Amino acid sequence: MKILVCIKQVHDPETIFRVDESTGSVKPEGHVKYWMNHADEFAVEEAILIKEAHPGTIVDALTVGPDRAARVLERAVGMGADNGVHLLVTGEGYISPLTIASWIASYAFDREYDLILAGVMAEDHMNGQVGPLLAELLSLPCATSVIFEDLRAKGGMVHVEREIEGGLRDVLELALPALLTVQTGINKPRYPSLSNLLRAKEQKAFVIDLETLPSVEEREEVLSSHYPGKSRIGMVLEGDQWKKASQLLQLFEKKAFI
Amino acid sequence: MKKKHLSKRLSENGFVASRAASYTANRVMKRTVVIIAEHNEGRAIPMTYELVTLAHKIGEACSLELKVVVLGAEVETISGEIATTTGIDVVAVRNTSLATYNAELYKNLLTEILSLMEPNFVLAPQTTRGIDFAPGLAVRLKAGCITGVNAMGGKEGKIYFSRSAYNGKIVSDLLPLGKTTVLIVEPGAFKPHPKISSFPGNVDLRISTAEPEKTKSLGIKSAEREDSGLAEADVIVAAGRGIGERKNLVLIERLAGLFPRSAVAGSRPICDQGWMAYKSQVGLTGTTVSPRLYIACGISGAIQHTVGMQGAGFIVAISTDPNAAIFNMADVCIVEDLTSFIPTFLEVYQEKAK
Repeated sequence: MKILVCIKQVHDPETIFRVDESTGSVKPEGHVKYWMNHADEFAVEEAILIKEAHPGTIVDALTVGPDRAARVLERAVGMGADNGVHLLVTGEGYISPLTIASWIASYAFDREYDLILAGVMAEDHMNGQVGPLLAELLSLPCATSVIFEDLRAKGGMVHVEREIEGGLRDVLELALPALLTVQTGINKPRYPSLSNLLRAKEQKAFVIDLETLPSVEEREEVLSSHYPGKSRIGMVLEGDQWKKASQLLQLFEKKAFI
Repeated sequence: MKKKHLSKRLSENGFVASRAASYTANRVMKRTVVIIAEHNEGRAIPMTYELVTLAHKIGEACSLELKVVVLGAEVETISGEIATTTGIDVVAVRNTSLATYNAELYKNLLTEILSLMEPNFVLAPQTTRGIDFAPGLAVRLKAGCITGVNAMGGKEGKIYFSRSAYNGKIVSDLLPLGKTTVLIVEPGAFKPHPKISSFPGNVDLRISTAEPEKTKSLGIKSAEREDSGLAEADVIVAAGRGIGERKNLVLIERLAGLFPRSAVAGSRPICDQGWMAYKSQVGLTGTTVSPRLYIACGISGAIQHTVGMQGAGFIVAISTDPNAAIFNMADVCIVEDLTSFIPTFLEVYQEKAK
C-alpha cells in the first residue's frame, strides 16, 4: 500500500496582512509564524493510522511551497510519514489551485499511489480545490470532507463517511486508487516523536524543481486584492476595560437583551 | 502588452458585454449561464434562488441566457417549481441511481450536458455537495473554477468575482480568463431572487440510466448528535480558537448565564479539540442560527463559521486581533482579551445589580 498525503504550510491566522495598493499583492507583516495547515495534520494522522493497521504501507508527505515549507515535511515525517517530497517554489505569492494540482498530478501519476489524502481546505486561501482537482486530473474517484474512513485493501476499496449539512453523513464506497480530503476532527493528530524528528532532519526531503514539471495555462487571474467592506456598523468601544464593559452593559439593557 | 492580449482573449470568449453572438458554420451558439440546482427532500434548496440572482446579474452584464440543470431520482416537481417561479428553462435529468447524491454520476452527467451547451458560466452553491463535485467538473470542462464567490463587479468592460481569503481579512477580485468558468457561490452572499415570473420556463426532461463505476453511494446516515437547542436560543455566546485554553470555557458559560433563553456554542476548532460537543458547532457543517444577540468570543470570522450566524439580529465581537474579519460583520467591536474582559463585564454587571 502506498499513500500520498498533500500538506501545506500556512500563516498563523492572527497574521496581519497588508495590501500593496499599486500591485494589489498581499504581504504578511511583522514577524510571521508558519505552521502546518490544521486540516492537513488530520490527513497526516489518518495516513499514519492506516500505516499502523496495514504493515508494509509507505506514506509520502508532499508539499508545494518555498524553502520555509520544508518545516511541515519535517513535522509530517516526525509524526511517522516515511518520506517528504518538496515541490520547491521560488519566491512568495499566489499560485492557483489548478497549477498546484497539476504539479502534484505530474509528480504522482506514475508513482502508483493507492490512496491520496489531503486536508479539506487550506486556511489561507480557503479554496478547497486542490484535492478534488488533483483527483480529476488523475481520474481518481474522490470524496471531500471525510470524517470517517475504513480502508478495505483486500476488497480494493475504501468505505467513507462525508460530513454534510445538518449533522448528517453521506456514506459511500470508493474503488482504489482514490483521493479523500479529510475534515478536521476525524482523529486526534499526534505530536511528532523525537526519534522521528531526528530522522526527518537527517534524511531530508526529496526536492523537485518545478521547472521540470509541465505548466498549465491559468484560467483566472487575481485582478486585485483589498480589505473587506463592513456589513454592519461595527461600533468600536473605546476606553479601558471597565468603561467598555459598562458601555456594553448599557447597550444590552437598552436593547432589552438582559 | 499583457493587458491588450488579455482584453482580446476576453472579447473572444464573450466576457465583454456585447450583443454579438458567436456564429459557427451552421448554428448559432447561445451563450449561457447555467445554474446547478441542489435539492433536498423533494425541494430546491433556498440557495438556488440566490444563484438565480447572481445568474441574472451576469446574464445582464454579458448578454447571456440563463438555464437551470437539475439532477436526481425524482426531478419533475423540483424542475416544475423552478421553471414556474423563475421563468428560466430547466434541463432535468432523471436517474434512479441518484436517490442520494453521487459525485461520479454528477460529474459524468453534467459533463455530458454542459459540453454541448458550452456555457460561459456554471454556478453551483458552496455546500458540502457543490464543493465536492464542482472543481472536478471544471477540470472536465477545461474550465476555470472560483470558490467562495461573494460578489460580482465590473471594471473596464470586464466582469470579475470577489472571494475572501486569510480568514476573511482580505478580499481578492478574480478575472475569469477561460471560455468557461465554474463559480462556487458562498451561501447568503446574494439575496434570493423573488419567485415571480409571468412566463414559466420550459422543462426539458431527460432520462438517464447511467451508473457510477467507482463510487457507490450507500445512503445518508444521521450522526449521533442530539438537539443542542441552539436554534431556539434568543442569545448565543460562542467561543472560538481565541479562548486559548479549555478552562476559559467557564467564562463563556458564565457570560451566557446572564441572559434569559441563552445557549453556548463553538466554532469548529473548539469542537475538534473536544472542548465542546459537535452539536454545539455553528457554521457550514454545524448549525445555522439567527438569535437576537450573538456574542462572538475569540472567533476570527472565517466564512466556515460566519455563514452559520450572519443572520443574527445583533452581533458583538470580542477579539484581541484588531484585524479579525469578525469585526467587519459586527454591530459592536471590542478589541480585548476575553479572558480579562469577560470577568470585568461580569463584575460591572454585579456592581450594577447591587
